[in-house]
Amino acid sequence: AACETTLKSSDTHPDGYPTVEAVKHMGKLLEERTDGRLCIEVFHSAQLGQEKDTIEQTKFGVIDLNRVSMGPFNNLVEETKVVSLPYVFKGVDHMHRVMDGPIGEEILKAFEPHGYVGLAFYDGGSRSFYNKVKPIKSIEDLEGMKIRVMQSDIFVDMMSALGANATPLPYGEVYSAIQTGVIDGAENNWPSFESSGHYEVAGHYTLDEHLIVPEVLVMSKASWDKLSAEDQAAVRQAARDSVPFMREMWAAREKASEEKVRAAGVEVVTEIDKEPFMAAMDSVYEKHVTSDKLKDLVARIRATD
Amino acid sequence: MTSVARALRHVARLALWLAAAGLILMTVFITAQVVARYIFNDSLVWSEPAAVILMGWFIFLGAAVGIREGYHLSFDVLLYFLPKKAKLWLYSISDLVVVGFGAGMLWFGSQLALSAWDVKLPSLGISGAYDFLPIVGGGVLVILFSLERLARRAAGLPTARFGETDPLED
Amino acid sequence: MEVWVLFGTFVFLLLIGTPVAFCLGVASFATVLYIGLPPVVVFQQLNSGVSVFALMAIPFFIFAGELMVRGDIARRLVALAGAMVGHMRGGLGQVNITASVLFGGISGSAAADATAIGGLMIPQMREKGYSVEYGVNVTVVSSIIALMLPPSHNMIIYSISAGGRLSIADLFTAGIIPGLLLAASLMVTAWFVARKAGYPTESFPGWAMLGAIFFNAIPGILLIVIIFGGVRSGIFTASESSCIAAVYALLVTTLAYRTMNWASFVEATKAAVRTTAMVLLVIGCAASFGWLLAFLRIPAELVELMKAVSNNPIIILLMINLVLLMLGTFMDMSPLIVITTPIFLPVATAFGVDPVHFGVILVLNLGIGLCTPPVGTVLFVGCAVGRISVWDAIRTIWPFYGAAVFTLLLVTYIPSLSLWLPSLFR
Ligand code: NA
Ligand code: NA
Repeated sequence: AACETTLKSSDTHPDGYPTVEAVKHMGKLLEERTDGRLCIEVFHSAQLGQEKDTIEQTKFGVIDLNRVSMGPFNNLVEETKVVSLPYVFKGVDHMHRVMDGPIGEEILKAFEPHGYVGLAFYDGGSRSFYNKVKPIKSIEDLEGMKIRVMQSDIFVDMMSALGANATPLPYGEVYSAIQTGVIDGAENNWPSFESSGHYEVAGHYTLDEHLIVPEVLVMSKASWDKLSAEDQAAVRQAARDSVPFMREMWAAREKASEEKVRAAGVEVVTEIDKEPFMAAMDSVYEKHVTSDKLKDLVARIRATD
Repeated sequence: MTSVARALRHVARLALWLAAAGLILMTVFITAQVVARYIFNDSLVWSEPAAVILMGWFIFLGAAVGIREGYHLSFDVLLYFLPKKAKLWLYSISDLVVVGFGAGMLWFGSQLALSAWDVKLPSLGISGAYDFLPIVGGGVLVILFSLERLARRAAGLPTARFGETDPLED
Repeated sequence: MEVWVLFGTFVFLLLIGTPVAFCLGVASFATVLYIGLPPVVVFQQLNSGVSVFALMAIPFFIFAGELMVRGDIARRLVALAGAMVGHMRGGLGQVNITASVLFGGISGSAAADATAIGGLMIPQMREKGYSVEYGVNVTVVSSIIALMLPPSHNMIIYSISAGGRLSIADLFTAGIIPGLLLAASLMVTAWFVARKAGYPTESFPGWAMLGAIFFNAIPGILLIVIIFGGVRSGIFTASESSCIAAVYALLVTTLAYRTMNWASFVEATKAAVRTTAMVLLVIGCAASFGWLLAFLRIPAELVELMKAVSNNPIIILLMINLVLLMLGTFMDMSPLIVITTPIFLPVATAFGVDPVHFGVILVLNLGIGLCTPPVGTVLFVGCAVGRISVWDAIRTIWPFYGAAVFTLLLVTYIPSLSLWLPSLFR
């Protein structure tokens, strides 16, 4: 309560979720390091609105910090598109190496002209397919399946390229839609597969890891400009220091979710030949990686060990 | 005054027709989605976002017309005990406040539309500004119809309120 | 101080007769100006508050209701109810309640139910020597049944507000027994009130006639089967089912009954637009109001307060019910679901209440709020249809409030009334 300035931060995840805890942790570091000049108050569980809303609020300076997924930024900050491409990373470790290096730095910088200051990337896990019909062991198994995807052109095109029937549905309707058979399945990471309860109705999970999309912590440029250079540096450093904390929590969370889902009897396909899946993505890359800037980024990501 | 009122009646009628057309179009979109998915096993990715934008249009148009036709819910219990003159003054304060809100819809709705100008909406491929145009258009009509109420009251003409079933005579 | 600006402006505007939607919107606007936040947020929330796919169930169910009223489906259902229970004590009162069960099963809207059944029944009741107040009271309170029986768009709104984890199909099913229980307790109440007032009964039309009337009502009843069956078998989602209901009502009234012409179709559409715009503007403005509540941390403080009072689930549920009933008297249902679910659901689940069960409690509780002044949409509709003042209606409505609150307590403290039926479908 003795804080001079309390930065308000939004998150759509519930209290206790790794991203929420990471920003709280960052706040603790910041308070210590600035002698109480700066604190952070996290509004979790989408209390201040869905990501699309809070992104606008951040831009207008209504809130100061925002933990969001990359998707909503895709049509605004072109560079963010590159991490939303299917199979662009070889695995989670590869994603870490890319985002912790110069490419990550470059993407964070790209937010600035649009009214945001990119502070850090958090883990969002890897998304894989689940369904109630049969185990997906090859690309042929996906043929004609109705799979729920988020409203995003890349994801819709990805599903079509894989031969599935991309069915956009609001997240809240997915559970009963799978249960009743309106759709056959959806795709998500371990923690969401578990916390949404979708594993109760979709008994087959295939770890194809088609999307490994990090999440991002941004600050409002308007709020940023009000800080002294010293405080700006403190904010940036605290954000950076919250990343290892977050990754540790995430790993634990992922493991706990996996155990719970497996214990419930969900059949998990781990051995899968990703080559045909990746080969099918050529058309998606052709359509969405159009500018030289994006082509260059993709090439450099692929070239990163 | 009566000629202005007559002109505004046409505006209200047009707005209500557009809103009704929006509802019907929405019905068509969602039905098409169900048919496409269940019968042709092929989802229409645009039907949901398109229907949501249509819904915005018909809500804000319909809500603005509601000011003119007086079909918004209100709570008039306390006003029963006040003399007619005081009541009319309070109604006018009410209408003024609504004009202010309409101005907010127009001004800040435009700001939101401008800031979303170069964002492309997924699945539809149109500008994000379309998301906020209903609120801007609704704001204009809210201002117009509330000002009309104030002017009518000043001129001694009746204004409609919730629960009054008699239509405006103009 | 911010809190006082928010609530003070709201109450002041409410008292001077500003439409409720604008009371919420302007109070939010004023508060944001007072705090010095960029006001865009108020209008952004207004916009995103109504840009929710699941809310589409509201216009569609209202549209379907309008088509059913204007296209004779509702009248045939009322006739069926009349033949079934008109001979019981309190005749037309019982018919009114039974008609709400039949109609409530195909419309999710208490307002549509009150308009449709009130419009048909209240004049008949007046003619047969019932007091108009009795007719309005029965119409108003029994219309809550429509909220409990599937389909109910309020259950959809609840599921969304609960974070979308809850199966809408389960919520739909969970409302059935509580809805029928409400109907039963209202019928008993109507019986007593009618006996005291000496109201007449109708004569039983005979089985052959009942059969004929039933045959006439089949297309209407079939809608229940189509909606429920369609959702359960995965042909469409629960929110899409509202659209199918409208399309089906249009097909039945134009092709089977041939009661719908172009003019009444246009009128039905316009009426649906008017009602929807009114309801959804309130929801949109409530989204701005709710955003400020969250921003000012009011829900969190309320939860702390409640936890400080007691940690006995029975007391907590009682407190939640009382707070909801109070809120329900001065606010409308859908915005309250949106605002209160994130506040109370975590409290309730923390005390071991099943979220589906809580949804049923919430909808029933706020449904009662629709019948209470100052802001009772259904009460207003009932009074408008019966052409009596709100004061006249609430002077004699107490026995029916009593029956509804009694049902609410049963539903609150006997979870299996809500949870047993959905467990059969799993
Ligand atoms: Na219903
Ligand atoms: Na009420």
